[in-house]
Amino acid sequence: MKIDHSVPKEYATEENRLKIFGFWIFIGAEVALFGTLFATYLTLVGHTATGPTGSEIFEIGPVLIETFVLLTSSFLIGLSVHAMRLGNKKAMLTFLGLTLLLGLTFLGVEIYEFTTYVHEGAGLQTSAFTAALLTLLGTHGAHVTLGLFWGLAIIIQVSKRGITPETANKSFIFSLYWHFLDVIWIFIFSFVYLKGLM
Amino acid sequence: MSLKELFPAKYVTGFIFSLVLTVAALSVWYFDLSYQVGLSILIVTAFIQAGVQLIMFMHVGESEDKISIYTHTYYAVAMGLIIVIGTLFTMIWGYQ
Amino acid sequence: MKEYFSRFAIENADDPMIIGAQISIALVTIGIIVGLTYFKKWGYLWRTWLTTVDHKKIGIMYILAALLMLFRGGVDALLMRAQTAIPDNGLLDAQHYNEIFTTHGVIMILFMAMPFIIGLMNVVVPLQIGARDVAFPRLNAVSFWLFFIGAMLFNISFVIGGSPDAGWTAYFPLAGNDYSHTVGMNYYAIAIQIAGIGTLMTGINFITTIMKMRAPGMTLMKMPMFTWSILITNLIIVFAFPVLTIALALMTMDRLFGTHFFSIDNGGMDMLWANLFWIWGHPEVYIVILPAFGIFSEIITTFAQRNLYGYKSMVFSMVAISALSFVVWTHHFYTMGHGVVVNGFFSITTMAIAVPTGVKIFNWLLTLWKGKIHFTVPMLYAMGFIPIFVIGGVTGVMLAMASADYQYHNTMFLVAHFHYVLIPGTVFGVLAGFTFWWPKIFGFSLSERIGKWAFWFIAISFNVTFFPLFISGLSGQARRMYTYSENAGFTIYNMISFVGALGLAFGFLLIVYNIYWSTRYAKRHLTEDPWNGRSLEWATHSPVPEYNFAIIPQVDSTEAFWDQKEHGKELFKGNIEPIHMPNNSGQPFIMSAIFFVFGFAMVFSMWIVAIISAIGIFACMWYRSFENDHGHYIPVEEIEATERKSGVIANED
Repeated sequence: MKIDHSVPKEYATEENRLKIFGFWIFIGAEVALFGTLFATYLTLVGHTATGPTGSEIFEIGPVLIETFVLLTSSFLIGLSVHAMRLGNKKAMLTFLGLTLLLGLTFLGVEIYEFTTYVHEGAGLQTSAFTAALLTLLGTHGAHVTLGLFWGLAIIIQVSKRGITPETANKSFIFSLYWHFLDVIWIFIFSFVYLKGLM
Repeated sequence: MSLKELFPAKYVTGFIFSLVLTVAALSVWYFDLSYQVGLSILIVTAFIQAGVQLIMFMHVGESEDKISIYTHTYYAVAMGLIIVIGTLFTMIWGYQ
Repeated sequence: MKEYFSRFAIENADDPMIIGAQISIALVTIGIIVGLTYFKKWGYLWRTWLTTVDHKKIGIMYILAALLMLFRGGVDALLMRAQTAIPDNGLLDAQHYNEIFTTHGVIMILFMAMPFIIGLMNVVVPLQIGARDVAFPRLNAVSFWLFFIGAMLFNISFVIGGSPDAGWTAYFPLAGNDYSHTVGMNYYAIAIQIAGIGTLMTGINFITTIMKMRAPGMTLMKMPMFTWSILITNLIIVFAFPVLTIALALMTMDRLFGTHFFSIDNGGMDMLWANLFWIWGHPEVYIVILPAFGIFSEIITTFAQRNLYGYKSMVFSMVAISALSFVVWTHHFYTMGHGVVVNGFFSITTMAIAVPTGVKIFNWLLTLWKGKIHFTVPMLYAMGFIPIFVIGGVTGVMLAMASADYQYHNTMFLVAHFHYVLIPGTVFGVLAGFTFWWPKIFGFSLSERIGKWAFWFIAISFNVTFFPLFISGLSGQARRMYTYSENAGFTIYNMISFVGALGLAFGFLLIVYNIYWSTRYAKRHLTEDPWNGRSLEWATHSPVPEYNFAIIPQVDSTEAFWDQKEHGKELFKGNIEPIHMPNNSGQPFIMSAIFFVFGFAMVFSMWIVAIISAIGIFACMWYRSFENDHGHYIPVEEIEATERKSGVIANED
């Protein structure tokens, strides 16, 4: 395995470069995936049948918390990758751990949000609007959940094996994933919640 | 390691910029704006913030593959827009 | 207990065809198990095939699966043609007929055409670009096994629970619980979903491979045309398949969890399904045709012994086709009620997409001009393709006009159109590619004599089968109807079509016979380059060694191998070094097996089993994350020994 020491470790081997490239392609596919969910939501947003509308159930408080938490976690994972490039394992793991903690907080607020909706009569089966809303939010939440487990696996590997070309590559790719989830959230925040509350 | 090394300017600026854009987007909830103005603000702030994430956080331009990745990203954005706008066109706007 | 198991039964379980299928599946399964045990081949099966990450072996498995599915789908077709050949025929009742045209469509497109193409791309592309494997060999194996498991799940529906019956397009509300209450449509939603995940991974794999693993000197504009077609096809896959993923997930939720995406009540919008399905569905048909175009480019240049005319315009036309393919989808449902602006827009884009395809046809004709043409079996398919596909193409332009389409929509005219592009396009393409690259994979050629008989039977019978349907369609024969009365006046056309279908069946049987005959009698290892080929795959041995090339070739033209033969340009410079190869792994197979259990459980709403198997899938991923497998090195002595055994040392002239 030829290691190129003139680039950051996550790019240092041929295999590493292939994996990062492949992951960017995957992100393109995820854009199409979430695009379809947005298309479905925006088409069905007025189809509330006998159920509630968005403006009736959306609360700006939890939404702001979710947004701020996710944005900060995206900032922190960026700091983690930066610390990794400096070779600072302790800082890297600290920032990564805080990222995951904030991710967990985000999920907690979202679960609270969902249970509130259900109590208010906006469940998955209530109307086309609620189905589309909860599926879009739920798919994003499921991606975050998967990310928490993935991030945990990386924390364990970096603690045990240190910052190697392999672990650096995984961490960098994870950060791409996490940033992407924040990009999706920005669109959810804008075109689901804010648009619904306008 | 110093705070300056661990908190590089690029990231801090990006973070603050994202917060500013989020607050700007919030204006559509706080103020009583027309539908068109509100939607325009949301579109502009969302896409700029996405760009901030892409360029300042995801290092989209840093590797030897940057042309391929930029091209792929433009294509992906175009795809997303086609899917959303095409669906709204066919399903809703077309039924005038 | 009986109530629990009754959910797996078929509704009309005493139907002779279903009983026959159940018995034959059971017998074949037992036969396979007994045979493997008797010949002590379990270890061989596991080591060589079930755990392989080698693109060549994976490709062979894809193609074998595709051939099996070709026969399943073909039998469906014969049954349909037999049923409609006589008015008020009693061979198949309506329910049965619905199941058969549904499975025919799904199998032919998703479990025959796709795997055949993905199989050929697996075998050929790494060789054509001078690479040793794809970018992600382990992921490649996962792609294959997920496809395989999806196909198995879909096929088992016939004997356990009931086949899907709402057409391969599965429109709502017919595909919803109210009108399709058997588990058949669950099979549809879940089996295709699982196979689709594999295809998306293939997309990522091949884009990365082609963009980043080409031999030194091979710029994008020096790639063989087949590789170009595969690059563009995989780009379409990456953006189209996620749409299908969501559409099928929403269908699953409507059917299993009572949501209202596509229902007629509680705000659901049934037309939204059609919209999402076709946003995927139209790019899908370009996914299956572009590789065929690539194959024909290779074959026409090889057997006319000329460079491809207009290389650049061939590339740009494929890029244009792929871009346009994403903005034409509504032409599949012009009649669904949206207004003229929508229909007008999509009519224009649909007609536009014919232009780049036309450019390609002219370029192929100009490649033939003044060439030295050899009518081998692959070349016959290519020559048949050009005129017959053009008929399909121009009828497509007819259909593209929305106002006219109100007359043609869902008649046999439409059925004839798409068979006139799919069969001369995709099917001829994969059969030609299969024949063309067979000697590279197996070290011996298929019989030209038998192959020519098969071609002529297929090409002529195809026209006999489908041309009458243009006429009956224009006369008003609707599609997806299990029978027509005598006074409708379609009988003569359907009878001719049935005779043609028998001819097609015979042609395909000849292909099977060719495989058997050639495996038994053909001379082995005559040459690595039986067709006087032009691209890099012909520059290595037949069959290809594990590592593909002992030395990575260095390229400086579009037809590197041809230049070595004609102008003495040296391809392989330098010494042999140890080669790094990935290890085999059982994980792709095991994870896919768990996916099968998950899929089956979901189809039958067995939630506990579904949750446990879902955890199992994630456990496989967790395990993979911690795995420390870095492959192995093939030592120089072994490479040299393999090269000597194959007859040529790589760096000798």
